Amino acid sequence: MNRFDEELKLALRREEPSPDFTDRVMARVAELQKREKPREKTGWLRRLAEFFQPAQMKWATAGAMAVLLVIAGFGVHHRRESERKRLAEIAEGERAKEQVMLAMRIASAKLNAAQKKVREIAVHEDRGSKIEDRR
Amino acid sequence: MASETLEDQLIERKEGGMQRADDTLSRAKDGDQTAFADLVREHQAMVFSIAHYFSRDRATSEDLAQEVFIHLYQNLAAIESPAHLKFWLRRVTGHRCIDHARKHKVKTVSVEDAPEPVATTDFRDSLMTEALRRIVATLPEKPRLVVTLRYQEDLDPTEIAKLLDMPLNTVKSHLRRSLAILREKVTRSMGEIKV
Repeated sequence: MNRFDEELKLALRREEPSPDFTDRVMARVAELQKREKPREKTGWLRRLAEFFQPAQMKWATAGAMAVLLVIAGFGVHHRRESERKRLAEIAEGERAKEQVMLAMRIASAKLNAAQKKVREIAVHEDRGSKIEDRR
Repeated sequence: MASETLEDQLIERKEGGMQRADDTLSRAKDGDQTAFADLVREHQAMVFSIAHYFSRDRATSEDLAQEVFIHLYQNLAAIESPAHLKFWLRRVTGHRCIDHARKHKVKTVSVEDAPEPVATTDFRDSLMTEALRRIVATLPEKPRLVVTLRYQEDLDPTEIAKLLDMPLNTVKSHLRRSLAILREKVTRSMGEIKV
């Protein structure tokens, strides 16, 4: 290295910036952090979006499908059960109706028989009195 | 024996310093503000001076240096080691200086048009320094940055080529031509001093 190089090195030696340079940089860093904090608050949106990214999406879809299947199965079971109950109630009603009809038919038959008997007795008595009158 | 001990002590001290620099960098990467401030303090002279010898304006250089450190803060995760940090800072500062000069269309006076300082024996040394700085500032952007990195940062042409993504021969040619111009200009202005 010759004298000229030495002169150049001396001329272009490092110099310090203003004494408050570091503080000013750190103040800007603090400002930057302040601005970044509200962004962190909305981080849940980012996490939600990330959740629906392919790898996680597979699990989410599988979970949702499982839940839907359980709900659908429960719905079908509930519907069948209530249909079965309704049919059972109708059948019960029909049976009760049949029994009432039967009871009424029996009662009617019995009434008819009694009425017939009463009529026969009345005819019989009427004939007896006519024979008595003739005598 | 004594020299060996002194050498060992120097090696130990150097290794200790590297360890500390490593620790500071990892703490800064973990979000430690004090550690980041230490990094700024450690490298501010380097960053500021590159910008200063490039722009020749203190306020502009401080703004540029601040931008470089803010950019560093935002990219700390990408810094692998203290050596990489130095390389990164020099590279980013160099690119920022060139970008800034292009955006603000800084006038680079041709070397022939640069004002020549008048030398008197009493102020010869300080004038020599001032003259060299002034003439360096008149060099075109890339040669100016190459000269600054060569003489301020003591980098060899290979390192400069790597830093500025420039072919080695271009760096060498920038250096050769810039030195010839500087020599001629300084000799003309300070005729009696052997340079």
